[in-house]
Amino acid sequence: MGMRYRQYLAGTRVYGCSTCRTHLATIHSMLSRAFNGQHGRAYLFEGVVNVVEGEPSERQMTTGNHTVRDIFCVKCGTTLGWKYDRAYEPSQKYKEGKFILERNLLVDVQ
Amino acid sequence: MRFPDNTDQDSALSVSLDFEPEAGPSSVALNNDLSAAVSNGNGHAVSNGHGGPLFSNGASSSTNGKLTAAGYASKGSHAISRVSLPGTKLYEDSHVDREEFVRLVIQSLRDVGYIESAATLEAESGYTMESPEVAEFRECILDGSWDSAEVTLSRLGVSDDESLRMARFLISQQKYLELLEASNVNAALHVLRSELAPLNTDVDKLHSLSGLIMCSNAEDLKSRAKWDGAAGVSRRQLLANLQRFIPSSVMIPQRRFASLLQQAYTHQRTQCLYHNAPYDSSAFSLYTDHHCSRDSFPSLTTHILAEHEDEVWNVQWSHCGRYLASASKDKTAIVWHIGVSLHPLRRPKTGPNTRDCIPEKVLRDHPYPVGCLAWSLDDSILLTSSEHIIKMWNPKTGLCVRELDAHTETVTSLVWLPDGSGFLSGSMDRKIILWDVDGKQRDTWGTTVIRVTDLAVTPDFSRLVAVGIHHLPSSANNSAVTLQDGGTPPTGAATQASTERRRDVENRLIIYDLATKQQEVSIRLEGELTSVKISQDSRYALVNHAPDEVQLWDLDSARMARRFTGQRQGKHVIRSCFGGVDGNFIVSGSEDGNVYVWHRDTGALLEALPGHGEGSVNSAAWNPKDERMFASCSDDCTIRIWEIPPPEMMEAVGSPMAEQNGKGKGRSRDGWDGTG
Ligand SMILES: [Zn+2]
Repeated sequence: MGMRYRQYLAGTRVYGCSTCRTHLATIHSMLSRAFNGQHGRAYLFEGVVNVVEGEPSERQMTTGNHTVRDIFCVKCGTTLGWKYDRAYEPSQKYKEGKFILERNLLVDVQ
Repeated sequence: MRFPDNTDQDSALSVSLDFEPEAGPSSVALNNDLSAAVSNGNGHAVSNGHGGPLFSNGASSSTNGKLTAAGYASKGSHAISRVSLPGTKLYEDSHVDREEFVRLVIQSLRDVGYIESAATLEAESGYTMESPEVAEFRECILDGSWDSAEVTLSRLGVSDDESLRMARFLISQQKYLELLEASNVNAALHVLRSELAPLNTDVDKLHSLSGLIMCSNAEDLKSRAKWDGAAGVSRRQLLANLQRFIPSSVMIPQRRFASLLQQAYTHQRTQCLYHNAPYDSSAFSLYTDHHCSRDSFPSLTTHILAEHEDEVWNVQWSHCGRYLASASKDKTAIVWHIGVSLHPLRRPKTGPNTRDCIPEKVLRDHPYPVGCLAWSLDDSILLTSSEHIIKMWNPKTGLCVRELDAHTETVTSLVWLPDGSGFLSGSMDRKIILWDVDGKQRDTWGTTVIRVTDLAVTPDFSRLVAVGIHHLPSSANNSAVTLQDGGTPPTGAATQASTERRRDVENRLIIYDLATKQQEVSIRLEGELTSVKISQDSRYALVNHAPDEVQLWDLDSARMARRFTGQRQGKHVIRSCFGGVDGNFIVSGSEDGNVYVWHRDTGALLEALPGHGEGSVNSAAWNPKDERMFASCSDDCTIRIWEIPPPEMMEAVGSPMAEQNGKGKGRSRDGWDGTG
């Protein structure tokens, strides 16, 4: 609702959407490179910008059961990864509220 | 100035007044046609033989000889006796000095040509408008008797040598110019060397004066000296310029009473919260304080334009005031024809203004939602922006004339230059581009410090004001961010980094010199800035500032002059505008769905107009040709046209009114709601 400009990030490294170059996350908010997505390697981020969140769904992952939402690029609509709403395994709780972006869908922007 | 307080002279006074039957020179407005300024009743201007215009007020024409000293003497039969009053004040409890007041009245009387009344008042009060020296001085100046003028000047009570020197310089300068005008170069040179040079220490000024000797003829001289010659108003202008060196109690400034009344008018106007009456209207009377009623404020929705299929983000009136362009998230812009109000016979007896509002052209083929709109000065081109693309449209045919693809990020502002010779675009890509009317790039600001969220140009062509986001060079200690593998909970480092990012962003208002593109001032502000507009006088910038205010910035002093509070803009792009006569109103959209209106000069919140549905009111625009109409647009997919309520509505605010029918063109609905 309402008009909003997309957010722009700054820093040593800014990741953008490979389709439309919309800014998504900085390397400063990256928590881990050791994740896997639909298209191979994926990164876990503390926060991302310019994404739309989809409906929550239950997903079984290698680290247990999670409630996640797909996230889409606000400009071009590409599905970029997902957000963890809830992790059922106590050891995985740290992922809650964090975001996964697929490495192959990212491009360096500045 | 008082006559000698000598009772012996009282009777003599009334018969020996040595007044010339002419209106005081202060009656002559510098830029007025002289004959128009003096004609009064059946009066006709006559010459008194020494060049200055004479004025007669009807019956007592000086040509009939009645106003000679003998004429006064013959009236001695009803001699005017001086009235002796206690104290010095006009009223016992007032601060107004009686002498000052009476002298201004005398001046006013003489100005308009009531010469006898003025003389009578002088006799009755014992005050004279001015001393004979002042009258003589004025005559000398107007006659061009420069030597006598200098002599008289020394008797006018000029307090310090510096002032006297400046006054002398002005007189000699006029003398010099007039000699040049008369092609008397040798005499002019003499004045330059023997009078101007010794008086002035300003080398540049002397240099430019001496340069005028090279002028080929009188016309050339006048245009280069910006001076209109001995026969023009230049001597009167000189008199006005000399005024500041002569005590005003000695020589009363021209039209002083009228100046005071003008000040009263200005004061009342700035205090009039709902002021929306044209300057020359009968809305101002000396009998009563001026006050505009809320009834003449456009507080009523008269038309709802519902053609867009998604949120409407922006609206912009054509310069002719008959077309409204709207920009929507639905990837279209619409050109609406806002018709003239229907003839009284064709419209319902009661109810608001009725007019046809037709969506004339729907401008499609935008790849993304439409954000900006800008009409060319002659309304022949309408610009729209959609993400990084700018489109030029012919609003008459609805055809896209050109597509401009030079920006790499969202275009956030499109504004035409004040002379219509081109336009500027500002973008999130940190570029400001100047285009010509054919869509060719003419100039660019290079890479600006900020990602531009809006910009505006002052009507006087002097400045460009841009607002936007400045990303500070990253100060975060990058190496401190430790990357964790998927199995291990991370430390707090990343969280810290993400909050760090917010601090690396600041919002700035930047004032550029338009000609040189140099930054004049850059001001850091707390909230996000989403809109900037410039006042008609080029002095102020109106800026929307998140989360809850609109700020008025004085561009000359680079200080905030006023803030308008009440509206909400937590995260959306909300725009505002000036509106009404002299831009007396400030109107802004708001995330709470109301249209906010403030009084510009006091900051008083006048209206929070409800009516729009769910979501934000994104923008508002005042009709440039009709001070009683504006438009607002909203997330509710509609545009509202606001006008003044009909008179009968004032009597029954809030009573249910019949829906107006018959305007079913397009999907524009005509309806209205009370705002009470
Ligand atoms: Zn994208």
